[in-house]
Amino acid sequence: MKSSPHRWLLEHIPEWERDGLLTAEAARTLRERHLAEQASEEAHSGLAHSRLAQIVTGSLGALLVGLGLIAVIGYNWDDFSRPVRLSFAFLPLLAAQLFSLRIVLRGQTVATWVRECAGLLQALATGACLAIVSQMYNLGGEWPDLLFWWMLLSLPLVWVLPSKAVAVFYLTAVTVWSVSRMDDVGPWYNSPVMYPVLLLGLLPLWPGWPPRHVPSVFMRWLLTMSAIVGLCGAATFASNTWGPALAGESQTDLWLWTLIAAVLVLFPLSPSGMAESLGRKPQVVLGSLWLLGYGLAGTFSESNEFLLEGVLEDFTGPWTWGLLAVMAAFMMIAAFRQRWAVLAIAAIGLLPVIAYPLAAMLNWVSTVYLFGLGVMFILLEFTGRRGSPRLGAALLCALIIARMADSQFSLLTKGLVFMVAGVAFLVFNLAMTRQGRGHALKTP
Amino acid sequence: MKLLPVILFGFAALAQWAAPCWQIWTYEQVLAKGTLIKLKCAAPDPYDLWRGRFLAVRPAQSQVTAPLGLSLERGQPFFATFTTGPDGLATLSGVSLTPPAGNDYIRLRAGSVYDQTVTIEWPFERFYLNEKLAPEADRWFAESIRTDGGIVAEVRVDNGRGVLADLSVEGRPIREILKQRLE
Repeated sequence: MKSSPHRWLLEHIPEWERDGLLTAEAARTLRERHLAEQASEEAHSGLAHSRLAQIVTGSLGALLVGLGLIAVIGYNWDDFSRPVRLSFAFLPLLAAQLFSLRIVLRGQTVATWVRECAGLLQALATGACLAIVSQMYNLGGEWPDLLFWWMLLSLPLVWVLPSKAVAVFYLTAVTVWSVSRMDDVGPWYNSPVMYPVLLLGLLPLWPGWPPRHVPSVFMRWLLTMSAIVGLCGAATFASNTWGPALAGESQTDLWLWTLIAAVLVLFPLSPSGMAESLGRKPQVVLGSLWLLGYGLAGTFSESNEFLLEGVLEDFTGPWTWGLLAVMAAFMMIAAFRQRWAVLAIAAIGLLPVIAYPLAAMLNWVSTVYLFGLGVMFILLEFTGRRGSPRLGAALLCALIIARMADSQFSLLTKGLVFMVAGVAFLVFNLAMTRQGRGHALKTP
Repeated sequence: MKLLPVILFGFAALAQWAAPCWQIWTYEQVLAKGTLIKLKCAAPDPYDLWRGRFLAVRPAQSQVTAPLGLSLERGQPFFATFTTGPDGLATLSGVSLTPPAGNDYIRLRAGSVYDQTVTIEWPFERFYLNEKLAPEADRWFAESIRTDGGIVAEVRVDNGRGVLADLSVEGRPIREILKQRLE
């Protein structure tokens, strides 16, 4: 179990008492106060765990009941008349709706797990109704068609009940639907380009959005992964449909996906959102990983032609210009909020454009830029600002390993350069540590 | 008690009823009033995650020729009428971009287009069967695929909509044949 500050304090009181730092009276007062607070903290933590277990178990139960209903309908009871078969699906829907209505009328007094169960049951009962109708009338269309209407009809439950479980269903369904439509040649309104519009249904769940809903870490990760898959699907579809001559080739998709990563990294956050830890900002983590990977790929001379060809082709498609416009707007907001590190990472996506006039120099531009980025992340920390020395060190290591793969330099040259660079880092580190100690001793 | 969530919930619940009910009403209308069209087809047996087992219905006629001057693009909807042959089986004939006169026409979507030859995307492609009959349908299909009569899709057509009412072989409904084979 994670140690609390109260427990830490209680463990150190005897030691401080022995050393004469605390009087017996002060130690007793501290013990009484912090024992009570520790007990209350543990009780709260236990209660939260118990509530989560209830929500998970309840949702699982509702999910199983709903899926069971769909499976029973899937059996196809064609010995019964149509009205009887319809009642198999409509009566459970009615029951689920009445159950949900009772919860809506009772408001916030209802336990969370009951609300989640009701939401899931109603969403699944809706799906069962749609499934039985299309089964009875032998309707054509693939399962994503059914999924589309199912998720739209379930969406209001996210806000009315409100139900997080239905939000998870909607988000998953939107993503699956978009991916399933990626390679289709159909009208735009039945394609992944609808993904951003469909995602608006969950807008207040986005991180950084001001209203009162603060999304959980799980929901943030799910939203980010959905956005990555959905937006990349939309970009690929748009590129295939209205895009360049090379549409469908991986080099055209690659730069579009990189621009999406940059947009995600730059996604505007409120001041409180910016202050949160990186683990609570999956869009920054995943987007940065993609961009750094893309940047590293750009440092290889062999990939120059491939990457630049994709960029040149992408400029002929409207989707690219749309992404660049959004990216420019987000960059301005990021600059206004002084998110320099995020801006520097997002700019990796623009390196091929910067390097384009220099023809085959993308590998050098990328190498210099990433090296500078790695050093900057480390130096920021030494100057007392918020840097990321581990990321900086990892980036430099990755660059060094990448250069080991270069065959145009001899192993001797590479070895000597690496050793000199390594010694320089060690000396710098020692100097900064000494300087830090000197500051600490001078501080009263 | 807040009124807005209740009103919104009411709308959501109504929509959840309205969507399937509207479909039921539409397809019941077609089944009740529609003209019966018989199409020769093939029907192997796959599986749908949500709706169970079905026979994938593939009408034998997969292409139609658009009249000169009518240019169709992939994915574009068009209208077609039927001509019934002496064997009672129908084939698509008149192709147009606007609904023709009368009710016996169907709205289709163009697949690939080459010159004036249009690949047809039929609106009905599945015939659902229950789990007891489906494996038997598989066996029966393998045995009877080479019969002269073949499988006939009985489709009701009305004002552009087509509903697959039944599959039959030599005039006998497929479910009846399968049930008899199982006995």
